Amino acid sequence: MSEVILENVTKNYGNVQGISNISVEIKPGLTGILGPNGAGKSTMMKMVLGLSRPSIGHVSVMGNDPFTNWKQRNKIGFVPEYDCFYEHMSGLDYVAYFLQMHNYTLQEANEMARVSLAELGLEDAMDRKIRTYSRGMRQKTKVARAAVFNPDIFVLDEPFQGADPTTRHLLMMKMKQWADEGKTIMISSHILHDIENLTDQIILINNGKMLASGNRHEIRNLMNNIPRQIHVTPIKNTNLRKLAKRLLDESWVRATRIDKENDELIIETDSAETFYLELPRIIKKEKIEVKRINSEDDSLDSLYTKLVGGAQWK
Amino acid sequence: MEISDILNRSKNLGMPIVKDCIYRLLMNKLTWILILILLLPGLLGLWAYTNDKDERQVQKIDGENIYYYNDNANFELVGLPIHENIRENFIEISNVFVIKFIGVLMAIMFASELINEEFNRKTIQILRTTPISPLEIIFYRYIAGVICMFSLLAVTSLIYYLIIMMNAGFYGIKEELDVLVLVIKIVMIESIAYIGIFILISVYFDRPFFLGIIYWMLWEMIVSGGNYQQITVSHYLDSILFKGLENMNWDVLAEDFGLIKTAGNNTVNLVTEPLTAVIIVFIAAMATIWISAKGMEKRQF
Repeated sequence: MSEVILENVTKNYGNVQGISNISVEIKPGLTGILGPNGAGKSTMMKMVLGLSRPSIGHVSVMGNDPFTNWKQRNKIGFVPEYDCFYEHMSGLDYVAYFLQMHNYTLQEANEMARVSLAELGLEDAMDRKIRTYSRGMRQKTKVARAAVFNPDIFVLDEPFQGADPTTRHLLMMKMKQWADEGKTIMISSHILHDIENLTDQIILINNGKMLASGNRHEIRNLMNNIPRQIHVTPIKNTNLRKLAKRLLDESWVRATRIDKENDELIIETDSAETFYLELPRIIKKEKIEVKRINSEDDSLDSLYTKLVGGAQWK
Repeated sequence: MEISDILNRSKNLGMPIVKDCIYRLLMNKLTWILILILLLPGLLGLWAYTNDKDERQVQKIDGENIYYYNDNANFELVGLPIHENIRENFIEISNVFVIKFIGVLMAIMFASELINEEFNRKTIQILRTTPISPLEIIFYRYIAGVICMFSLLAVTSLIYYLIIMMNAGFYGIKEELDVLVLVIKIVMIESIAYIGIFILISVYFDRPFFLGIIYWMLWEMIVSGGNYQQITVSHYLDSILFKGLENMNWDVLAEDFGLIKTAGNNTVNLVTEPLTAVIIVFIAAMATIWISAKGMEKRQF
């Protein structure tokens, strides 16, 4: 049974369209919502949370309209993209405060909050004021607040933003655990890598429109065929020309260009995956030491361009 | 159904919200600026006390030290018990400065901090994702605002009273306690009314501070002196003050408080009975809370 259903949902903010005619059913398990900033991910989530209502269409969460049915909000845990703290509170007070909104006594709330924060590795910091927290700690506190009352549905808006690799790993483990417990998890991100390790179910949106939804492998295959620029910076700039020449022998490299100002080589490839597999072998063989490999994550944008421009999506 | 739910949940929900809101109000820099401004007349009162000390003489009657004006004072005052004169200073400063100026500013500021700042910080969005009703969100903030405003203004009034009445000695302070109680009552009614009104403005408008000032200037200052003054809070506060003083046998006139209207060549007394005034203010306050809760319920983020 689908816990969250959006039927022909359009949301307008004055003359600006937030999302346009989106229909989707979200079933228990993890569903990734992918799109660049401003794509409409947060708008979609706000409607599921009952913070906003559609201009056209209908949103149903557990069979009810989330905007009017505030009582069922004890079944939905929300991690917002933005900071939303009472900075003067400690992490423990903050989580316990919102638990009391769920009608728990102060004692129950404190005990539950302590366990939830400790599970996320904040046992030493939970009594400190939130204003002293790092971004990663803030992120964990938001997740602790959302998860502490054991909701059936999680709405996680960019939950990995600002999280260090350890926090990211910990949060991913938590999300997998919730999915295994049969909970419905909506997770938004503008980075495909964040999502693809978590789930097969992906919804792609851009400019408020749903471009694709379904299995991640199909979407990933589309991405691999899109030209992508990768910047490689050797330790010695004298190796730039040598590496450029060598890479042009490979079929998966479309073009190379030397950026003398930044001492880097810009490589355009049709297959990013092959590039990342093959490059270490090549530089080892050619004895070229590299200090940085950098790719602006424009792959989603490229995919959207293709999806929107491609005949099959017109 | 909703009201009984709210009552059942109030034990767990009410206290943390009210406590946190009071904490935020008291930690706000603007609150402390207002407190400092409130203390200024107190300093003037201390200066006046040291200046006027040599204008008094004491008489012991039934074991009580009663202070009178001596020959150094204005000739109209000579021989008059000091407390009967300086109590008017207390009423004047409480009415004009505390109730009509700082009180209104404080209500605007508190309502803005309790509602609008939470919109800005987006904490209200998180609250809206919890199973707490819009009425609860508004009501507990309202209670916190009223407690805070009333406490600060009541303590200020007490300090003013003690400083102003110091020249009248302990006897004078005891003798005029009714005046202090009257001012504290008015401050209470004022807090109940204005916090509700400015919370309403904060829920519906994005610039509550500015609109609050406009409301105060146009509505409470201009309309309150005119023929339709019964639609202002000031009218009811003035009525309670006027009737209170009249009941204490003060020589006061309704026109001194602007509680009249002109009808042709005649003037009509508009004074509202204190009990009626309190009931009207209370009903209006409850209405503002209810309308604010409706606004919160319909608000989209």
